[in-house]
Amino acid sequence: MILSVEKLEKQFGSLKAIDGVSFGIREREIVSLIGSNGAGKTTLVNLISGYLKPTAGRIFFGGKDITYASPFKRIKLGIGRSFQIVHLFEEATVLDNVRTPLFARYGRIKSILWSADSYVDITREAIGILKLFNLYDKKDSPAKELSEGEKKILDVAMAFALKPKLLLLDEPTSGVATHDKFSVMNTIVSAIRKEGISALIIEHDMDIVSNYSDNVLVIHEGRIMAEGKPEDVMQNKEVRETILGIQ
Amino acid sequence: MQWFIYVLNGLYFTAFIFLISLGLNIILGVMGILNLAHGSLYAIGAFMAAWVIITLSGLKGVPVPLLYISLISGALLAGFVGLIIERVLIRPMYGRALEYQLLITFGALLLFEDLIKLVWGGEAYYASQPFDILGKIQILGNAYPLYFLLVILVTLIVGSAVWVFITKTKMGIMLRALSLDREMATALGLEIDKLSTIAFVLGAALAGLAGSLIAPTTPVLLGFGMEPLILAFIVVVIGGLGSLKGAFIGSVIVGQIRSIGIVVFPEIELAILFLIAAVILVVKPEGLFGR
Repeated sequence: MILSVEKLEKQFGSLKAIDGVSFGIREREIVSLIGSNGAGKTTLVNLISGYLKPTAGRIFFGGKDITYASPFKRIKLGIGRSFQIVHLFEEATVLDNVRTPLFARYGRIKSILWSADSYVDITREAIGILKLFNLYDKKDSPAKELSEGEKKILDVAMAFALKPKLLLLDEPTSGVATHDKFSVMNTIVSAIRKEGISALIIEHDMDIVSNYSDNVLVIHEGRIMAEGKPEDVMQNKEVRETILGIQ
Repeated sequence: MQWFIYVLNGLYFTAFIFLISLGLNIILGVMGILNLAHGSLYAIGAFMAAWVIITLSGLKGVPVPLLYISLISGALLAGFVGLIIERVLIRPMYGRALEYQLLITFGALLLFEDLIKLVWGGEAYYASQPFDILGKIQILGNAYPLYFLLVILVTLIVGSAVWVFITKTKMGIMLRALSLDREMATALGLEIDKLSTIAFVLGAALAGLAGSLIAPTTPVLLGFGMEPLILAFIVVVIGGLGSLKGAFIGSVIVGQIRSIGIVVFPEIELAILFLIAAVILVVKPEGLFGR
Protein backbone atom coordinates (compact mmCIF):
# COMPACT_ATOMS: atom_id res chain seq x y z
CA MET A 1 0.00 0.00 0.00
CA ILE A 2 1.29 3.46 -0.85
CA LEU A 3 -1.33 5.05 1.44
CA SER A 4 -2.98 3.56 4.51
CA VAL A 5 -5.60 5.42 6.49
CA GLU A 6 -6.56 3.88 9.82
CA LYS A 7 -9.61 4.79 11.89
CA LEU A 8 -9.30 8.43 10.94
CA GLU A 9 -11.52 10.95 12.71
CA LYS A 10 -12.01 14.67 12.35
CA GLN A 11 -14.30 16.64 14.60
CA PHE A 12 -15.37 20.25 13.97
CA GLY A 13 -17.04 21.34 17.21
CA SER A 14 -19.95 18.95 17.68
CA LEU A 15 -19.80 17.75 14.05
CA LYS A 16 -17.87 14.58 13.26
CA ALA A 17 -16.91 15.24 9.65
CA ILE A 18 -14.80 12.07 9.38
CA ASP A 19 -15.80 9.18 11.59
CA GLY A 20 -13.48 6.16 11.80
CA VAL A 21 -12.46 6.00 8.14
CA SER A 22 -10.02 3.26 7.12
CA PHE A 23 -8.88 2.43 3.60
CA GLY A 24 -5.75 1.94 1.51
CA ILE A 25 -4.47 2.83 -1.95
CA ARG A 26 -2.04 0.55 -3.76
CA GLU A 27 0.77 1.68 -6.02
CA ARG A 28 -0.41 2.69 -9.51
CA GLU A 29 -4.02 2.47 -8.39
CA ILE A 30 -6.59 5.14 -9.25
CA VAL A 31 -9.32 5.40 -6.64
CA SER A 32 -12.37 7.60 -6.98
CA LEU A 33 -13.90 9.11 -3.88
CA ILE A 34 -17.62 9.72 -4.23
CA GLY A 35 -20.33 10.91 -1.90
CA SER A 36 -23.03 13.52 -1.56
CA ASN A 37 -22.24 17.14 -0.71
CA GLY A 38 -20.98 17.49 2.85
CA ALA A 39 -20.16 13.79 3.10
CA GLY A 40 -16.55 14.55 4.08
CA LYS A 41 -14.70 14.05 0.77
CA THR A 42 -12.71 17.28 0.75
CA THR A 43 -12.10 17.01 4.51
CA LEU A 44 -10.58 13.57 3.92
CA VAL A 45 -8.32 14.91 1.15
CA ASN A 46 -7.32 17.84 3.39
CA LEU A 47 -6.40 15.38 6.15
CA ILE A 48 -4.27 13.30 3.79
CA SER A 49 -2.52 16.35 2.33
CA GLY A 50 -1.91 17.81 5.79
CA TYR A 51 -4.12 20.89 5.49
CA LEU A 52 -6.12 19.56 8.44
CA LYS A 53 -4.95 17.59 11.45
CA PRO A 54 -7.08 14.61 12.51
CA THR A 55 -8.77 14.30 15.88
CA ALA A 56 -7.85 10.61 15.99
CA GLY A 57 -6.47 7.83 13.78
CA ARG A 58 -3.31 7.43 11.74
CA ILE A 59 -2.18 8.06 8.16
CA PHE A 60 0.73 6.11 6.70
CA PHE A 61 2.40 6.98 3.41
CA GLY A 62 4.97 4.62 1.97
CA GLY A 63 5.09 2.96 5.38
CA LYS A 64 5.84 6.22 7.21
CA ASP A 65 3.51 7.70 9.78
CA ILE A 66 2.60 11.14 8.39
CA THR A 67 -0.43 11.78 10.59
CA TYR A 68 0.94 15.07 11.93
CA ALA A 69 3.46 15.92 9.20
CA SER A 70 3.19 19.40 7.64
CA PRO A 71 1.84 19.81 4.09
CA PHE A 72 5.37 20.81 3.01
CA LYS A 73 6.81 17.57 4.41
CA ARG A 74 4.10 15.52 2.69
CA ILE A 75 4.82 17.22 -0.64
CA LYS A 76 8.50 16.34 -0.26
CA LEU A 77 7.53 12.74 0.55
CA GLY A 78 5.50 12.57 -2.67
CA ILE A 79 1.91 13.66 -2.08
CA GLY A 80 0.69 16.20 -4.63
CA ARG A 81 -2.73 17.75 -4.77
CA SER A 82 -4.98 19.94 -6.85
CA PHE A 83 -7.91 21.97 -5.61
CA GLN A 84 -11.61 21.95 -6.44
CA ILE A 85 -11.32 25.58 -7.52
CA VAL A 86 -8.43 25.88 -9.95
CA HIS A 87 -5.41 27.62 -8.50
CA LEU A 88 -3.08 28.88 -11.20
CA PHE A 89 -0.59 31.69 -11.38
CA GLU A 90 -2.93 33.42 -13.81
CA GLU A 91 -0.65 36.24 -14.94
CA ALA A 92 2.34 33.96 -15.50
CA THR A 93 2.89 31.92 -18.66
CA VAL A 94 1.82 28.29 -18.84
CA LEU A 95 5.51 27.33 -18.95
CA ASP A 96 6.30 29.31 -15.79
CA ASN A 97 3.31 27.74 -14.05
CA VAL A 98 4.92 24.33 -14.55
CA ARG A 99 8.46 25.52 -13.93
CA THR A 100 7.48 26.90 -10.51
CA PRO A 101 6.85 23.50 -8.87
CA LEU A 102 9.94 22.17 -10.63
CA PHE A 103 12.02 24.96 -9.09
CA ALA A 104 10.50 24.08 -5.73
CA ARG A 105 11.18 20.38 -6.26
CA TYR A 106 14.73 20.73 -7.46
CA GLY A 107 16.29 22.99 -5.17
CA ARG A 108 16.48 24.93 -2.16
CA ILE A 109 16.89 28.64 -2.68
CA LYS A 110 20.51 29.18 -3.55
CA SER A 111 21.03 31.20 -6.65
CA ILE A 112 19.00 34.38 -6.37
CA LEU A 113 20.01 36.06 -9.58
CA TRP A 114 20.17 33.21 -12.05
CA SER A 115 17.94 33.50 -15.07
CA ALA A 116 15.08 31.00 -15.10
CA ASP A 117 16.02 30.05 -18.66
CA SER A 118 19.51 29.08 -17.53
CA TYR A 119 17.98 26.08 -15.75
CA VAL A 120 17.93 24.18 -19.02
CA ASP A 121 17.08 20.78 -17.50
CA ILE A 122 14.11 22.22 -15.62
CA THR A 123 12.81 24.01 -18.71
CA ARG A 124 13.22 20.80 -20.72
CA GLU A 125 11.34 18.81 -18.09
CA ALA A 126 8.58 21.44 -17.95
CA ILE A 127 8.20 21.24 -21.72
CA GLY A 128 8.04 17.44 -21.48
CA ILE A 129 5.22 17.72 -18.95
CA LEU A 130 3.37 20.24 -21.11
CA LYS A 131 3.64 17.85 -24.05
CA LEU A 132 2.37 14.99 -21.91
CA PHE A 133 -0.63 17.09 -20.92
CA ASN A 134 -1.19 18.45 -24.45
CA LEU A 135 -0.44 22.03 -23.42
CA TYR A 136 2.83 22.56 -25.25
CA ASP A 137 1.26 24.83 -27.88
CA LYS A 138 0.10 27.17 -25.12
CA LYS A 139 3.39 27.33 -23.25
CA ASP A 140 3.95 31.05 -23.82
CA SER A 141 0.35 32.13 -23.16
CA PRO A 142 -0.63 33.58 -19.80
CA ALA A 143 -2.51 30.93 -17.84
CA LYS A 144 -5.54 33.20 -17.62
CA GLU A 145 -6.07 32.85 -21.38
CA LEU A 146 -6.62 29.06 -21.22
CA SER A 147 -10.06 27.47 -21.49
CA GLU A 148 -11.60 26.05 -18.30
CA GLY A 149 -10.69 22.51 -19.37
CA GLU A 150 -7.10 23.52 -20.13
CA LYS A 151 -6.87 25.30 -16.78
CA LYS A 152 -7.94 22.11 -15.02
CA ILE A 153 -5.32 20.14 -16.96
CA LEU A 154 -2.62 22.70 -16.15
CA ASP A 155 -3.62 22.60 -12.48
CA VAL A 156 -3.04 18.84 -12.45
CA ALA A 157 0.14 19.18 -14.54
CA MET A 158 1.56 21.48 -11.86
CA ALA A 159 0.87 18.95 -9.13
CA PHE A 160 2.27 16.29 -11.48
CA ALA A 161 5.50 18.30 -11.85
CA LEU A 162 6.24 17.61 -8.20
CA LYS A 163 6.73 14.00 -9.31
CA PRO A 164 4.35 12.72 -6.67
CA LYS A 165 3.81 9.09 -5.82
CA LEU A 166 0.22 9.93 -4.91
CA LEU A 167 -1.95 12.61 -6.50
CA LEU A 168 -5.02 13.92 -4.73
CA LEU A 169 -7.37 15.51 -7.26
CA ASP A 170 -10.40 17.41 -6.02
CA GLU A 171 -13.06 17.32 -8.75
CA PRO A 172 -10.77 17.66 -11.78
CA THR A 173 -13.73 18.10 -14.14
CA SER A 174 -15.86 20.53 -12.14
CA GLY A 175 -16.59 23.65 -14.13
CA VAL A 176 -15.56 21.93 -17.38
CA ALA A 177 -18.14 21.81 -20.21
CA THR A 178 -19.81 18.39 -20.40
CA HIS A 179 -18.43 17.65 -23.88
CA ASP A 180 -14.88 18.38 -22.68
CA LYS A 181 -14.94 16.28 -19.51
CA PHE A 182 -13.78 13.04 -21.08
CA SER A 183 -11.07 14.76 -23.08
CA VAL A 184 -9.78 16.42 -19.89
CA MET A 185 -9.87 13.11 -17.98
CA ASN A 186 -8.25 11.23 -20.87
CA THR A 187 -5.32 13.64 -20.78
CA ILE A 188 -4.97 13.58 -17.00
CA VAL A 189 -5.40 9.84 -16.51
CA SER A 190 -3.15 8.83 -19.41
CA ALA A 191 -0.35 10.97 -17.90
CA ILE A 192 -0.96 9.45 -14.46
CA ARG A 193 -0.98 5.91 -15.87
CA LYS A 194 2.12 6.52 -17.96
CA GLU A 195 4.11 7.63 -14.90
CA GLY A 196 2.66 4.91 -12.66
CA ILE A 197 1.31 7.37 -10.11
CA SER A 198 -1.41 6.47 -7.62
CA ALA A 199 -4.36 8.83 -7.43
CA LEU A 200 -7.32 9.60 -5.22
CA ILE A 201 -9.87 11.54 -7.24
CA ILE A 202 -12.95 13.23 -5.84
CA GLU A 203 -15.54 13.03 -8.59
CA HIS A 204 -19.31 13.42 -8.96
CA ASP A 205 -19.75 12.26 -12.54
CA MET A 206 -20.44 8.52 -12.38
CA ASP A 207 -19.55 7.98 -16.04
CA ILE A 208 -16.09 9.32 -15.32
CA VAL A 209 -15.84 7.27 -12.12
CA SER A 210 -16.73 4.09 -14.04
CA ASN A 211 -14.36 4.79 -16.90
CA TYR A 212 -11.23 5.87 -15.10
CA SER A 213 -11.15 4.25 -11.65
CA ASP A 214 -9.66 0.97 -10.50
CA ASN A 215 -11.57 1.25 -7.26
CA VAL A 216 -14.28 3.41 -5.78
CA LEU A 217 -14.63 4.61 -2.22
CA VAL A 218 -18.08 5.79 -1.16
CA ILE A 219 -18.25 8.14 1.80
CA HIS A 220 -21.46 9.15 3.54
CA GLU A 221 -21.81 11.27 6.67
CA GLY A 222 -18.11 10.87 7.39
CA ARG A 223 -18.07 7.08 7.12
CA ILE A 224 -17.11 4.64 4.39
CA MET A 225 -20.38 3.28 3.03
CA ALA A 226 -18.87 1.01 0.38
CA GLU A 227 -15.70 0.31 -1.53
CA GLY A 228 -14.67 -1.89 -4.40
CA LYS A 229 -14.62 -2.10 -8.18
CA PRO A 230 -16.75 0.55 -9.89
CA GLU A 231 -19.21 -1.99 -11.29
CA ASP A 232 -19.66 -3.62 -7.88
CA VAL A 233 -20.13 -0.35 -6.05
CA MET A 234 -22.71 0.78 -8.62
CA GLN A 235 -24.72 -2.33 -7.82
CA ASN A 236 -24.62 -1.74 -4.07
CA LYS A 237 -28.23 -1.13 -3.01
CA GLU A 238 -27.37 1.37 -0.29
CA VAL A 239 -25.11 3.34 -2.63
CA ARG A 240 -27.72 3.36 -5.39
CA GLU A 241 -30.42 4.64 -3.07
CA THR A 242 -28.43 7.08 -0.94
CA ILE A 243 -25.74 8.43 -3.26
CA LEU A 244 -26.93 7.84 -6.81
CA GLY A 245 -30.64 8.40 -6.10
CA ILE A 246 -31.65 5.26 -8.01
CA GLN A 247 -34.39 3.06 -6.55
CA MET B 1 10.56 76.23 -21.29
CA GLN B 2 9.90 76.32 -17.57
CA TRP B 3 7.43 73.46 -18.07
CA PHE B 4 10.30 71.14 -18.98
CA ILE B 5 11.86 71.77 -15.59
CA TYR B 6 8.51 70.90 -13.96
CA VAL B 7 8.51 67.65 -15.90
CA LEU B 8 12.06 66.89 -14.79
CA ASN B 9 11.16 67.71 -11.19
CA GLY B 10 8.15 65.42 -11.60
CA LEU B 11 10.44 62.65 -12.81
CA TYR B 12 12.68 63.22 -9.81
CA PHE B 13 9.69 62.93 -7.43
CA THR B 14 8.58 59.92 -9.45
CA ALA B 15 11.98 58.29 -9.01
CA PHE B 16 12.16 58.29 -5.24
CA ILE B 17 8.43 57.61 -4.74
CA PHE B 18 8.76 54.71 -7.19
CA LEU B 19 11.57 53.13 -5.18
CA ILE B 20 9.60 53.37 -1.93
CA SER B 21 6.30 52.20 -3.39
CA LEU B 22 7.99 49.38 -5.30
CA GLY B 23 9.33 48.06 -2.00
CA LEU B 24 5.96 48.48 -0.31
CA ASN B 25 4.24 46.80 -3.25
CA ILE B 26 6.61 43.80 -3.25
CA ILE B 27 6.09 43.25 0.49
CA LEU B 28 2.32 43.71 0.24
CA GLY B 29 2.03 41.60 -2.91
CA VAL B 30 4.23 38.68 -1.94
CA MET B 31 3.55 38.54 1.80
CA GLY B 32 0.16 40.19 2.15
CA ILE B 33 1.67 42.39 4.85
CA LEU B 34 0.73 46.06 4.99
CA ASN B 35 3.99 47.36 6.39
CA LEU B 36 3.38 50.63 8.23
CA ALA B 37 7.05 50.61 9.27
CA HIS B 38 8.08 51.01 5.61
CA GLY B 39 8.57 54.74 6.10
CA SER B 40 10.92 53.99 9.00
CA LEU B 41 13.06 51.85 6.70
CA TYR B 42 13.23 54.81 4.31
CA ALA B 43 14.23 57.06 7.21
CA ILE B 44 16.86 54.58 8.43
CA GLY B 45 18.34 54.54 4.89
CA ALA B 46 18.42 58.35 4.84
CA PHE B 47 20.03 58.68 8.30
CA MET B 48 22.61 56.00 7.56
CA ALA B 49 23.60 57.51 4.21
CA ALA B 50 23.71 61.03 5.69
CA TRP B 51 25.87 59.86 8.58
CA VAL B 52 28.29 57.99 6.28
CA ILE B 53 28.55 60.94 3.87
CA ILE B 54 29.20 63.42 6.71
CA THR B 55 31.76 61.07 8.27
CA LEU B 56 33.57 60.44 4.97
CA SER B 57 33.53 64.14 4.08
CA GLY B 58 35.25 64.90 7.39
CA LEU B 59 38.17 62.60 6.51
CA LYS B 60 41.10 63.69 4.40
CA GLY B 61 41.86 62.12 1.03
CA VAL B 62 38.52 60.35 0.58
CA PRO B 63 37.95 59.92 -3.17
CA VAL B 64 34.79 61.66 -4.42
CA PRO B 65 33.29 58.54 -6.07
CA LEU B 66 33.28 56.91 -2.63
CA LEU B 67 30.76 59.49 -1.48
CA TYR B 68 28.36 58.28 -4.15
CA ILE B 69 29.09 54.61 -3.55
CA SER B 70 28.43 55.20 0.15
CA LEU B 71 24.79 55.92 -0.74
CA ILE B 72 24.38 52.15 -0.90
CA SER B 73 24.98 52.01 2.87
CA GLY B 74 21.41 53.15 3.56
CA ALA B 75 19.98 50.37 1.38
CA LEU B 76 22.20 47.78 3.06
CA LEU B 77 21.27 48.84 6.59
CA ALA B 78 17.55 49.06 5.75
CA GLY B 79 17.75 45.59 4.19
CA PHE B 80 19.42 44.23 7.32
CA VAL B 81 16.85 45.90 9.59
CA GLY B 82 14.15 44.48 7.29
CA LEU B 83 15.61 41.01 7.84
CA ILE B 84 15.33 41.43 11.61
CA ILE B 85 11.80 42.89 11.42
CA GLU B 86 10.64 40.00 9.25
CA ARG B 87 12.18 37.31 11.43
CA VAL B 88 11.24 38.76 14.80
CA LEU B 89 8.03 40.72 14.29
CA ILE B 90 6.37 39.73 11.03
CA ARG B 91 6.87 35.97 10.90
CA PRO B 92 4.74 35.22 13.98
CA MET B 93 1.95 37.27 12.34
CA TYR B 94 1.56 35.08 9.22
CA GLY B 95 -1.94 33.74 8.93
CA ARG B 96 -3.27 36.12 11.56
CA ALA B 97 -5.85 38.81 10.98
CA LEU B 98 -4.86 42.06 9.28
CA GLU B 99 -5.35 44.02 12.53
CA TYR B 100 -2.46 42.15 14.14
CA GLN B 101 -0.16 42.96 11.23
CA LEU B 102 -1.19 46.61 11.32
CA LEU B 103 -0.66 46.79 15.06
CA ILE B 104 2.75 45.13 14.96
CA THR B 105 4.04 47.21 12.04
CA PHE B 106 2.62 50.40 13.60
CA GLY B 107 4.41 49.43 16.82
CA ALA B 108 7.60 48.95 14.80
CA LEU B 109 7.15 52.42 13.28
CA LEU B 110 7.01 54.00 16.76
CA LEU B 111 9.89 51.86 17.98
CA PHE B 112 12.11 52.86 15.07
CA GLU B 113 11.37 56.54 15.58
CA ASP B 114 12.84 56.19 19.07
CA LEU B 115 15.70 53.97 17.90
CA ILE B 116 16.65 56.52 15.22
CA LYS B 117 16.68 59.21 17.90
CA LEU B 118 18.78 56.98 20.15
CA VAL B 119 21.35 56.16 17.44
CA TRP B 120 21.55 59.41 15.48
CA GLY B 121 20.25 61.93 18.01
CA GLY B 122 17.49 64.45 17.54
CA GLU B 123 19.34 66.91 15.30
CA ALA B 124 18.96 67.27 11.57
CA TYR B 125 21.70 65.83 9.34
CA TYR B 126 22.91 67.89 6.39
CA ALA B 127 24.79 65.71 3.90
CA SER B 128 24.63 67.78 0.74
CA GLN B 129 28.16 67.05 -0.48
CA PRO B 130 27.15 64.61 -3.27
CA PHE B 131 24.54 67.15 -4.40
CA ASP B 132 26.93 70.13 -4.25
CA ILE B 133 29.86 68.39 -5.99
CA LEU B 134 27.80 67.58 -9.08
CA GLY B 135 26.55 71.16 -9.37
CA LYS B 136 24.06 72.26 -12.01
CA ILE B 137 23.76 71.99 -15.76
CA GLN B 138 21.95 74.25 -18.20
CA ILE B 139 18.82 72.71 -19.66
CA LEU B 140 16.89 74.90 -22.13
CA GLY B 141 18.17 78.01 -20.43
CA ASN B 142 17.49 76.78 -16.90
CA ALA B 143 20.07 75.65 -14.36
CA TYR B 144 19.12 72.18 -13.15
CA PRO B 145 20.83 70.10 -10.41
CA LEU B 146 22.74 67.23 -11.97
CA TYR B 147 22.18 65.18 -8.82
CA PHE B 148 18.44 65.02 -9.59
CA LEU B 149 19.26 63.50 -12.98
CA LEU B 150 21.56 61.01 -11.24
CA VAL B 151 18.68 59.95 -8.97
CA ILE B 152 16.44 59.47 -12.01
CA LEU B 153 19.16 57.42 -13.73
CA VAL B 154 19.83 55.25 -10.67
CA THR B 155 16.09 54.62 -10.28
CA LEU B 156 15.80 53.61 -13.93
CA ILE B 157 18.66 51.14 -13.49
CA VAL B 158 17.34 49.74 -10.19
CA GLY B 159 13.74 49.57 -11.48
CA SER B 160 14.89 47.70 -14.60
CA ALA B 161 17.00 45.35 -12.49
CA VAL B 162 14.01 44.58 -10.23
CA TRP B 163 11.84 44.00 -13.31
CA VAL B 164 14.39 41.55 -14.76
CA PHE B 165 14.73 39.89 -11.34
CA ILE B 166 10.97 39.43 -10.92
CA THR B 167 10.19 38.31 -14.47
CA LYS B 168 13.28 36.46 -15.64
CA THR B 169 14.98 34.78 -12.71
CA LYS B 170 14.09 31.56 -10.97
CA MET B 171 13.69 33.39 -7.68
CA GLY B 172 11.53 36.08 -9.26
CA ILE B 173 9.22 33.49 -10.81
CA MET B 174 8.77 31.88 -7.39
CA LEU B 175 8.16 35.26 -5.73
CA ARG B 176 5.60 36.11 -8.38
CA ALA B 177 3.93 32.73 -7.89
CA LEU B 178 3.70 33.39 -4.16
CA SER B 179 2.25 36.81 -4.85
CA LEU B 180 -0.31 35.47 -7.34
CA ASP B 181 -1.60 32.54 -5.28
CA ARG B 182 -0.23 31.80 -1.84
CA GLU B 183 -2.34 28.66 -1.35
CA MET B 184 -1.14 27.09 -4.60
CA ALA B 185 2.45 28.11 -3.87
CA THR B 186 2.14 26.27 -0.55
CA ALA B 187 0.61 23.24 -2.22
CA LEU B 188 3.53 23.13 -4.66
CA GLY B 189 6.09 23.05 -1.89
CA LEU B 190 7.63 26.50 -2.35
CA GLU B 191 9.75 27.59 0.59
CA ILE B 192 7.30 30.24 1.71
CA ASP B 193 9.28 31.44 4.75
CA LYS B 194 12.49 31.99 2.79
CA LEU B 195 10.71 33.65 -0.11
CA SER B 196 8.91 35.95 2.33
CA THR B 197 12.19 36.91 3.95
CA ILE B 198 13.72 37.69 0.55
CA ALA B 199 10.70 39.79 -0.45
CA PHE B 200 10.79 41.75 2.81
CA VAL B 201 14.55 42.37 2.65
CA LEU B 202 14.28 43.47 -0.99
CA GLY B 203 11.38 45.80 -0.19
CA ALA B 204 13.20 47.22 2.83
CA ALA B 205 16.41 47.75 0.84
CA LEU B 206 14.49 49.63 -1.86
CA ALA B 207 12.98 51.92 0.79
CA GLY B 208 16.45 52.40 2.28
CA LEU B 209 17.91 53.20 -1.15
CA ALA B 210 15.21 55.83 -1.70
CA GLY B 211 16.12 57.37 1.68
CA SER B 212 19.83 57.28 0.79
CA LEU B 213 19.30 58.99 -2.53
CA ILE B 214 17.16 61.75 -1.03
CA ALA B 215 19.52 62.40 1.90
CA PRO B 216 21.91 64.76 0.02
CA THR B 217 19.02 66.95 -1.14
CA THR B 218 17.30 67.78 2.13
CA PRO B 219 17.94 67.90 5.89
CA VAL B 220 17.40 64.44 7.36
CA LEU B 221 15.44 64.74 10.57
CA LEU B 222 13.08 62.83 12.85
CA GLY B 223 9.70 61.90 11.33
CA PHE B 224 11.42 61.79 7.93
CA GLY B 225 9.57 58.66 6.78
CA MET B 226 5.98 59.69 7.33
CA GLU B 227 5.17 61.68 4.18
CA PRO B 228 6.89 59.24 1.78
CA LEU B 229 4.95 56.40 3.42
CA ILE B 230 1.67 58.19 2.73
CA LEU B 231 2.71 58.92 -0.85
CA ALA B 232 3.72 55.29 -1.34
CA PHE B 233 0.28 54.16 -0.13
CA ILE B 234 -1.33 56.55 -2.61
CA VAL B 235 0.83 55.05 -5.38
CA VAL B 236 -0.22 51.50 -4.41
CA VAL B 237 -3.89 52.56 -4.36
CA ILE B 238 -3.59 54.23 -7.78
CA GLY B 239 -1.34 51.69 -9.48
CA GLY B 240 -2.72 48.56 -7.88
CA LEU B 241 -1.40 45.80 -5.70
CA GLY B 242 1.30 43.47 -6.95
CA SER B 243 1.98 45.24 -10.22
CA LEU B 244 5.38 46.68 -11.12
CA LYS B 245 3.75 48.57 -13.96
CA GLY B 246 1.16 49.89 -11.53
CA ALA B 247 3.86 51.05 -9.12
CA PHE B 248 5.61 52.85 -11.97
CA ILE B 249 2.54 54.51 -13.48
CA GLY B 250 1.22 55.39 -10.01
CA SER B 251 4.56 57.00 -9.18
CA VAL B 252 4.57 58.97 -12.44
CA ILE B 253 1.06 60.28 -11.67
CA VAL B 254 1.93 61.18 -8.09
CA GLY B 255 5.33 62.63 -9.05
CA GLN B 256 4.04 64.83 -11.86
CA ILE B 257 1.00 66.06 -9.94
CA ARG B 258 3.23 66.94 -6.99
CA SER B 259 5.69 68.75 -9.24
CA ILE B 260 2.99 70.81 -10.93
CA GLY B 261 0.95 71.10 -7.72
CA ILE B 262 3.80 72.63 -5.73
CA VAL B 263 3.94 75.48 -8.27
CA VAL B 264 0.34 75.90 -9.38
CA PHE B 265 -1.79 74.88 -6.37
CA PRO B 266 0.56 74.35 -3.41
CA GLU B 267 -2.22 74.60 -0.78
CA ILE B 268 -4.11 71.57 -2.11
CA GLU B 269 -1.33 69.56 -3.74
CA LEU B 270 -1.59 66.63 -1.30
CA ALA B 271 -5.39 66.91 -1.18
CA ILE B 272 -5.54 66.40 -4.96
CA LEU B 273 -3.51 63.21 -4.65
CA PHE B 274 -5.83 61.93 -1.91
CA LEU B 275 -8.82 62.83 -4.08
CA ILE B 276 -7.42 60.84 -7.02
CA ALA B 277 -6.74 57.88 -4.72
CA ALA B 278 -10.28 58.12 -3.31
CA VAL B 279 -11.82 58.22 -6.81
CA ILE B 280 -9.80 55.17 -7.86
CA LEU B 281 -10.82 53.33 -4.69
CA VAL B 282 -14.47 53.94 -5.60
CA VAL B 283 -14.27 53.37 -9.37
CA LYS B 284 -11.54 50.70 -9.60
CA PRO B 285 -10.72 49.42 -6.10
CA GLU B 286 -8.02 47.07 -7.40
CA GLY B 287 -6.11 50.06 -8.83
CA LEU B 288 -5.26 50.83 -12.45
CA PHE B 289 -3.12 47.73 -12.95
CA GLY B 290 -3.89 45.64 -9.86
CA ARG B 291 -5.32 42.16 -9.64
